[in-house]
Formats: sequence, structure tokens, C-alpha cells
Amino acid sequence: MARQKSLTTPTLSPNDLAPRTLILDNGAHTLKAGFSSPLTDPAPATPSACHIIPNCIARSTRDRRTYIGPELTTCADYGDLAYRRPVEKGYIVNWEGEKAIWERSFFSKDAHIDGAGLGCDPAETNLILTEAPNAPASLQRNADEMVFEEFGFGAYYRTLGSSLNAYAPSPFPSTTTTVPAGVPLECLLVIDAGYSHTTITPLHHGRPLQTAIRRLEIGGKTLTNRLKELISRTFDVHREDHIVEEIKEDVCYVSRTFPQDLEKTWKGGRYDGRELDTGVVVDYVLPDYEHIKRGFYRPHDAHVNLRNRALGIGTETGRREHVVTLGNERFTVPELVFTPSDIGMQQAGLCHTVLQSVNALPEGLRQAYLANILVVGGTSLLPGFVERLEAELRSAVDEDTVIRVARAEDPVGNVWSGGARLAADEAAVRGVMVTRQEWAENGEGWVRRRFAGKKGR
Amino acid sequence: MATGPLRFRTPHIEELPTAQSRQSAGFAWVAVSTAQDDPAKNWGTTNRKRARASLGGQTEQQKEALSARAQRETERRIKELNNDNSRDVVIEVAKKPGQSAGGGAFKAGKTTGTKKILASGKTFAHYLDDEEAEIARTGRREGEVEAPGAAQRASKTPLARRKAREGSSASNSPAPSAVVAMGPPRVPRAASTYFAAEPMPVDDLDDDGEDSEDQLPCLPTSAEMEALLNTPPLTYNQARAAPPPASMPPPRRFCETCGYWGRARCMKCGAMTCSVVCKDEHDQSKCLKMYA
Ligand SMILES: [Zn+2]
Ligand SMILES: [Zn+2]
Repeated sequence: MARQKSLTTPTLSPNDLAPRTLILDNGAHTLKAGFSSPLTDPAPATPSACHIIPNCIARSTRDRRTYIGPELTTCADYGDLAYRRPVEKGYIVNWEGEKAIWERSFFSKDAHIDGAGLGCDPAETNLILTEAPNAPASLQRNADEMVFEEFGFGAYYRTLGSSLNAYAPSPFPSTTTTVPAGVPLECLLVIDAGYSHTTITPLHHGRPLQTAIRRLEIGGKTLTNRLKELISRTFDVHREDHIVEEIKEDVCYVSRTFPQDLEKTWKGGRYDGRELDTGVVVDYVLPDYEHIKRGFYRPHDAHVNLRNRALGIGTETGRREHVVTLGNERFTVPELVFTPSDIGMQQAGLCHTVLQSVNALPEGLRQAYLANILVVGGTSLLPGFVERLEAELRSAVDEDTVIRVARAEDPVGNVWSGGARLAADEAAVRGVMVTRQEWAENGEGWVRRRFAGKKGR
Repeated sequence: MATGPLRFRTPHIEELPTAQSRQSAGFAWVAVSTAQDDPAKNWGTTNRKRARASLGGQTEQQKEALSARAQRETERRIKELNNDNSRDVVIEVAKKPGQSAGGGAFKAGKTTGTKKILASGKTFAHYLDDEEAEIARTGRREGEVEAPGAAQRASKTPLARRKAREGSSASNSPAPSAVVAMGPPRVPRAASTYFAAEPMPVDDLDDDGEDSEDQLPCLPTSAEMEALLNTPPLTYNQARAAPPPASMPPPRRFCETCGYWGRARCMKCGAMTCSVVCKDEHDQSKCLKMYA
């Protein structure tokens, strides 16, 4: 049973941890990675220690280069980039690609690539690796095996990304007591609106209540793809993932008055044409990566002839300008998070998915979780996201129920900061880590049970 | 049934039993609510009776075929929207040794096991199918060696559920839960005020029975809490959000040309449009003519 064969001379005794820990929140869109250590960093690691690295391999048909992970930041032209992502549906599926990205991100010493070369020696490093909930066991086993056998980390803890949020500082302003690092918040309902999907995870002292975890299959990528589809009705952007993602980040918002916004953006019928509301309708100028490196928007101008502008006629500089007009796309796209039936998806919107999760908890716990809802993940950066969720939840429960929703100050890096604070507490991190020697002695089944929260060494 | 298919060869005008209906070649007007009616409440198309009537000229079989086809098309589109990779391209990780970072970086695996993992071309769907097959065969997940009681709890539901949704794909499988109630959670009043007072409440959760206040009868004991924390995870399919409560309004319809409320259905392809202008554009360039 023991795996002595693959064990090289351990640099650490069984219960010894390496001096520092790499916290790796392995998102489908970006890696959030950086070190934390109880020795050199008495104060919990600062957000500046967190590096955000594209978790993809991109191929440009223009310069015919392949950009792997951090190399993408050196790309000068994001037009017509094709992406390959090792993380599928939130899980690391393609290890060939992930390994190439990790190598450039952590183990490389290429200083000229920004964000790369964290200079990590795995044997001298503990790893905290996040995973999405409800993972197939075979994918968990692959991860464990790669971490120990291929990369050779000294010690390792695989955990739900969501659960690390419990170690981050409380987002609720009324909290006066400062919780020390390594001590998780008591009750937390984490909504992680990520790139792949949106998950709801109730945590009790940082431990997930598994039977209540729910997944809504709308994520940042769903929104980007939907926006791509809608813009392509008038201007073909099917091959412009990067640009459409920027458009989404620049102009999309969650509407609080959906029907009214829809009226404002309707051009009317043939005989009853309407004026478009330029407060909502905007013209987005696409980047050309020559003169315009980043797209931008301005209020819609109905008198501008977009076709002429594309030929360079009538622009201030005489340069060509590609413009797409965005009206109801701005809010009908994010609307999918709250009303998935708008594209025919038979899943409840975010509000009712949260209630499905809460209703799966014992009755006596429900109020505690509804009053401690934390929103994280890049998609939650859409303006109006938290307000809409809170409003929908309030109207769905009886008026005595307390609803409290807060978005983490940094919704993208909150999982990482939680992990960094956990790793800054020596006793806490020791309690969760499995060393390479333990892996070798006890085998993968034992390690998976440990990470599943099963007691007994 | 015999004459059925013929009806769809040519576009036809459908007459709707409503004073508001207008006709135009190839599509039917569905009564439109005014802005004041708050379309959010009635979700675009108002009268369900009328909506049904708009399909009145078809046989049951045709209606079924239409909706089954539309359903498949919808599922295909959702799958496309949830694609992780930008499009069907093969991007090779550069394999040339000595390239930029770390010379030996692209060795194909250090052990037999990792070699296999690195060379695997499996997608998530493969892993998911494997696991579902495993559970169907053995009644539990790979490597799951729970105490019999716990294992049984983990597997009972999945088996029962799998039968129910055999063949159905990702978009429609309600997750099971201990409490299936779909309405608003019933929260005891006393508990709400109790919890509202403190920012990080529920210290008493662990007090194991000491808490004798009658207002909080439902708080689990620490033993119950521990049991809950030790319940194995749901499977991927079980954790998926269930459909919205039946009390929710029916799905909204939007104009597929401009995104406004969809008010007329194209008789050729089933797409919704909002106006003659959008319908014209639809006919010229976008009509899929699915049933033509
Ligand atoms: Zn329209
Ligand atoms: Zn059509």
C-alpha cells in the first residue's frame, strides 16, 4: 500500500512544514497566487502579495505566438486570440496545460515576465490549492497525485475555495471585534460568482455544509459568451473573447428596474419610433491595438454614421473607428444570473438558488446564514449585483427575516487572503496540511479522506 | 396527421382571437401589454390562453415535435454559452525542450501515474460520466469507504434520482435536499431577532443542549452539527440548482433581433420579434426556417 517507491529523501520530517506556504486559488479565468508564512510575516499577508495570473494558453493568429499563463501580459494585440483553459467547469481537467502555466508562474525565474517567476521551490513549500465543490473523485485524485508526485510539494492542503473566505476579515461593517488570523468566521453563506459558474456554500467555522451546497450554471463566461452572441447580430465579434470581456466589464450592469430600462432602449415600431435614452444606450469604440489599446464608451450619438467612421470618414483624427452600439445588451446579459430562464435555462435564478441552499439546512440555522451572506468572485463586480440580490431575497422571505448581504472588499482576491491568513497561523495550517511523507506512507485514499474532513490520522 | 407537414411548407397567417391582433405575412401578433401594465409582471406575453391559441392550427404531434426540437436547440445553445474554451481550436503547449522557462519543463511526467494524467485527453464530461457510471454500478463514489450508514446515505438518493433523469442532460436535474420546500424559508421569529443583534452570532450553537430557551428550539445540537458537517458531498449533478418554484411567472420572451419584449412568433422558425421592423430584418437575414 505504501508508496515508498516514489519517495525521495524528504527534506522535512513527517510533521514538519516548510517555512512558507503558496496559496493558489486556481480559478478558471485567473490564478490568484502568492506566499504567506508565519515566520517572516507576523501580520497576515497583504493583498499586494497576491499575483493575478491568466490561467489560459492563448494563441494569436496575428503574431502566430502561443502565450502561456503569465506570458499573456506581454501580448500587445488581444485581437483574434483563441483560448484554451485547463480548468473546465471550475475543475482542473487538463493537467498538461495547467502544468505549463504553473511552471511559468511559480517555478520559472524569468524576471522579465511580469507576475511570473515567483521563485517557488516546491520541496520547500507548502501548497494550499483551492477546488470547486462537488468535484468528481477522479479529478481530486489527479490533483493530489500531480501535487506530490509531479511537482513534489513538501506539504499540501486541498480545500474548497469558498471555505477559505471564512478566514478573510469579516465584510460586515458592524463587526467590531477583529478575528485573529487562522480563526474562521462562525456562520457564512458564501456566494462565489466566478467565471465558470456561481456556487453557494454555507460554512460553519470554515467547514462546508456539503448537503446544502448548490451550483447555478451561469458564470462570467456565460455572460461574455452571451454578449458576444448579441453583439455579433450587428458586428461580428465571435473571435474576440478578450474584447467582449472588456466590453462586459466596462458597460454591463445589473438592472434594478428591468422593464423600465428595456423601454428606454427600444427604438419603437415602424410608425411609432422612439428616441433612445442615451443615459443607457452607449457607443463602444473597439480597440484596434494600434492607436486604441483599450476600448471605451461614450453616450450614443444617433447622428453618427458608423459605416463612415469605420472608413475613417468624420472621425476627429481621420482614423478608422469601429463602433458598436450597446443598448439593452448592457443589462439583459447580467440579468441571466438572476433570471436564467431568459435563455431557456431550467435553473432557478441566484436568489432562489440561495434559498434552495438555505432550505437544505436545519431550520434553526437558516436565519444565521441569511444574515451572513458574503459575495465574492469577479462576476459580483458588475454594478448593482449585490443590491439586486439583496432586494430579491428580501422580497422572497417574510419580513421578520433578517437578510444581510455584503460583497468582499476585493471579491477576486478574498479567497486568497483567507488562505494567506490561514497559512499565517502556524497551528492552524499544521492542522490541515498533509506532508509528502504522509502521502507516501498512507496513500491517496487516506489523503482524500483527510481533505474531505474525515478525522483520524 | 397525414396533412400535417403540408401546412408548414408555406408561411401562413394565423388569426388570433383577440381584438388587438393584427396580421402580417408570416407571423402572428400576440396581444401586447402596454408599458403601464408592467411587463415584468406578465413577462411579455400576457394571456396564456391566447398563447396557446396561437398554436391552435397544429396537431398534438406537431406541437410536441416543435417543442421537443425547440428544447434541444435551447439546450445546445446553453451548452455553447457555457463553453470554457473560446472556440474549437487546438492549441498545442509548446513542447520544444529548452524553450524559455525551465529546460526540462515539458518532460511528459515523472511517474507512471502523472505521465498518464498529463497525457490524458479526457474532458470534464468524460470524468463526470465515469463517476456517474461508477455510482450506478457500486452505489458509491470511487474510493469512498464510509461507514456503511454514511455510505448508504450518500448513495441512496443519487441512485433514485439517476433513474428519474436518465438521458436528460445537464440543464434539467433538480438537486435533492433534506428539505425540498421551495418557498421562502420558515425562520422562527425569535431566532431572527436573536441573530440580528450580533454581527457574528450563533455562539450558542456549540453549547450542546445547555441552551434551554424555548424560542430557539430548532438549533441543532453540536452532535447534530457534527453529523451534518460529516455528511459526504453531493455529486456534481445533485448540486445543480433546481428549477425555480412553480409560483414564478413563466419564462419571458424577447425579440431575437433587438432584445425588446418578444411579441410575435415567426411561424417558420419560432423566433420571437417585437415589431414589423424587426420581423422584416429577421426574414431577410436571420430566419432559420427550421420547420419550412
Ligand atoms: Zn425587436
Ligand atoms: Zn423565422
